[in-house]
Amino acid sequence: MILDYLFRLRALIVLAVLVITFTALSPAFLTAGNLTILVKHVAINAILAVGMTFVILSGGIDLSVGSIAGLSGIIAGGLIHSGLVLHPLGVIVYFHTWLVVAIALAAGAAVGAANGLLISQLRVAPFIATLGSMYVARGAALLTSNGATFPNLSGSPELGNTGFLLLGSGTYLGIPLPIWLMLAIAAAGVFVAVRTPFGRRIYAVGGNEKAAELSGVRVARIKFWAYVISGACAALVGLVIAAQLGAAHPATGETFELNAIAAVVLGGTSLMGGRGSVGGTIIGAFVIGVLADGLILLGVSEFWQIVIKGLVIVLAVILDQMQQRYALRAAAALRR
Amino acid sequence: MKLRISAALTAALFALMLSACGSGPQPPAKKLIAVITPSNDNPFFKAEAETATTRARELGYEVTVNSHDDDAHKQDQLIDVAIANRAAAIILDNAGADASVAAVSKAKAAGIPSFLIDREINSNGIAVSQIVSNNYQGATLAAQEFLRLMGEKGDYVELVGRESDTNAGIRTRGFHDVLDKYDGLKLVSRQSANWSQSEAFQKVETIIQGNRNIKGIIAGNDTMALGAVAALKNAGLESVIVVGFDGSPDAIASIKSGGIKATVLQPAATIARLAVDQAHKFLTTGSTGAPEKQSIDCELVTPANAGQFGLFGRK
Repeated sequence: MILDYLFRLRALIVLAVLVITFTALSPAFLTAGNLTILVKHVAINAILAVGMTFVILSGGIDLSVGSIAGLSGIIAGGLIHSGLVLHPLGVIVYFHTWLVVAIALAAGAAVGAANGLLISQLRVAPFIATLGSMYVARGAALLTSNGATFPNLSGSPELGNTGFLLLGSGTYLGIPLPIWLMLAIAAAGVFVAVRTPFGRRIYAVGGNEKAAELSGVRVARIKFWAYVISGACAALVGLVIAAQLGAAHPATGETFELNAIAAVVLGGTSLMGGRGSVGGTIIGAFVIGVLADGLILLGVSEFWQIVIKGLVIVLAVILDQMQQRYALRAAAALRR
Repeated sequence: MKLRISAALTAALFALMLSACGSGPQPPAKKLIAVITPSNDNPFFKAEAETATTRARELGYEVTVNSHDDDAHKQDQLIDVAIANRAAAIILDNAGADASVAAVSKAKAAGIPSFLIDREINSNGIAVSQIVSNNYQGATLAAQEFLRLMGEKGDYVELVGRESDTNAGIRTRGFHDVLDKYDGLKLVSRQSANWSQSEAFQKVETIIQGNRNIKGIIAGNDTMALGAVAALKNAGLESVIVVGFDGSPDAIASIKSGGIKATVLQPAATIARLAVDQAHKFLTTGSTGAPEKQSIDCELVTPANAGQFGLFGRK
């Protein structure tokens, strides 16, 4: 029984071990300043990973999130920096900052919707469909800026598009906005997964698609929305990064999909779908973030950082496998 | 029956492909120069590719432009395509000092001269020219300016480029050959940010948590320097001295507005133009009139002279 609890809490235990280790080794680690920065860094991956959790729970995978982040950032950057040029009319339209944010989010959701349609209607395997859109979205980002960076996104008061940078550097009650965004997304994610029919159906679809279909769940629709959620989360991340840097670069977000998948898996969600939780994913994102920032504070070389990150991911998955076998055995014992 | 039809179709297709290979594409009316560089999402490589293209067209060549994305395998395929297209010359910013030797040799064997820009290969006599900016000289120049701005003392942080990249190593060596002689300077953190702006931003945010007293940051390229400036600005540490490397347009704009304090400009445009000129001379006279290995010095850009520089060259 105790063993069962320990297994369930494995990601939290790994996290606690990391925090204790880093606190012991670096006096700067457990300070309010560092923790704020750390959570702000975690927020980037956590927001992506919440979206990814829905996709993976539904039995899919989304490789396009990093590219969507790059695309949404570059769309917002372009709209603020150089406006929308309407060639036939010879005018340049500048949008209000809120509208820029909405357009960029809609673009991310649209790529997600395309993924969803490919997977649910055309029956393309999720890995392939999102691999394709990963390339298409990255290419579209590069085309939008012609490979360049859009610098200086502070906007100008005459055009009414100032304030974008607040998304990255603003604070509320002393806490940076990206952290509030992560909290909001995480809370919404937990609510949707646990309290809504949609959430329960995602688990059903991922657990046994055929059974879900036979019991009246509209599988295609559920899958579609999982990818839309993931796309919108990725777009939000792209906006936050562009706002933090005050510049939008089309290569932003490369390999982010792998960090997001790692957070989901560390959090105990099964890559086969149907089993896992949004809360676990958030803890998984913290494990990766604490590891990254702690090793930097200790001055560990980049190469070792990569090796250690890989080892922690594998270790967590081994624990996951052990828990499953343990749970099966416990269930069998109970039946006897 | 079905099987036989598909077999016949396959055979026909192969025959068609073979015949196409046999006759080969017709030599183009104009001579072709193939320009191959790393990804053009970096303004440096873009400037390089565009300058080479413009110059080659001015001299009356057809031009193809491709990117190998720092992938030696993709570079090899692009060289194959250049050979198949019977290019007259290849202008190449290569994908690795050792990994590119075979590809350049293959072009030479096919009778196509290669003119390397920006990065050398670890072999002599295969390429006709290897024109690079002097990264070591540039790094010492940046370090000397950094030293002057720091007043020869204080805590500093170094951001290194992708550590598998030759130039990242040469630059950090140049920095340390200058800075390590001064006991007053203390390197409190040295991290790789893989040439990336967002990675530098996050790493600097974390580093300053452990080291509130840092006085300066020296970065192996401008994008990392820009990421550092953004992080310092967020933390209210605008007085920290940041020095970069490359002389990108964004960095020069930042120097003008008081962000980055200095950078060194690699004359990418000058080098690309020189390579095309030498290719032209080689194709028309049989010799470039210059040694194979040529190194062009970098220039220091500061708030005082930032107005004199344009896209990777003097205006």
